[in-house]
Amino acid sequence: MRCMARESRRSQLLRGVLDLCLLAVMDDGPAYGYEMTKRLRDRGLAIVGEGSIYPLLGRLERDGLVESYRAASDGGPPRKYYRPSDAGRLALALGVSEWRAAREGIDAVLGPVKVVEVAS
Amino acid sequence: MSEFVEQCRQEWKRLGVPDPLAEEMAADLASDLSDAEAEGISAEEFLGSSASDPRSFAASWAAERGIIPEAPSRDDARRRPLALMTFTALAATALIVAALLLLTGEPKVTLTATRTPHLVTPPAGSIPPGPQTRIVLHPVPPVNAAAPIEWMLLFLAIAALGFAAWLWTRSSHSQPPIAPA
Repeated sequence: MRCMARESRRSQLLRGVLDLCLLAVMDDGPAYGYEMTKRLRDRGLAIVGEGSIYPLLGRLERDGLVESYRAASDGGPPRKYYRPSDAGRLALALGVSEWRAAREGIDAVLGPVKVVEVAS
Repeated sequence: MSEFVEQCRQEWKRLGVPDPLAEEMAADLASDLSDAEAEGISAEEFLGSSASDPRSFAASWAAERGIIPEAPSRDDARRRPLALMTFTALAATALIVAALLLLTGEPKVTLTATRTPHLVTPPAGSIPPGPQTRIVLHPVPPVNAAAPIEWMLLFLAIAALGFAAWLWTRSSHSQPPIAPA
């Protein structure tokens, strides 16, 4: 039960910034869907249970925050590659500022709390 | 995994997603799932909770891309039952008022069809005068209520309640699936 609540909080936190995370990994270089999840995982962010990235990519594309094009992948079929548009880069910069400000405030409140491990 | 893609494809077809777009999305999804499988990652790990609900996943993806109308917002969904509830309440009130008037009060005004003789003498050679039907409003004793207003109100209220019941049934059957975020 406690584990589920923890998972739900993690989901909610991640849901609020997943678009920024996608823009950030795309900013490293154009990527297709699965490639993005790999980049996120390589950085320690597994998005299991957070829902698929596809609807989010669709929304980013519709909002003009990403551009897409089709190109052959390494030895595979042509894939749809995404990269941030100028508006997307601006949204990423603003979003990262907001995230850092929020994180600092939350750290100031939660930082001093001593965490006691409770056996589940 | 291919079954998941196939179910998505069917859902897109059902939702009216243009074929080229549906094919493109299905191909991308199939390739990504294939890559994931090759690296030992299951569909559940890759797609999260969406893996168990291809229809919602497909609908959500298409809606977010803007290629089908988005599901009605929660505000709209909340507003619609409110209007329906108001309509139902008004119909129920009318029914109660009509029933109370019929049970306790005497009809004050009624619409009756009466036959009255023609008072004007027609010119010679024309159609002979006959009784004509006129609608007149006049007080009537309680026993003589051919079509009292109360009865009409009662029938209208029953009809409105029937219509409201049909709307409620329709509304409960057409709830859109909740798309995952």
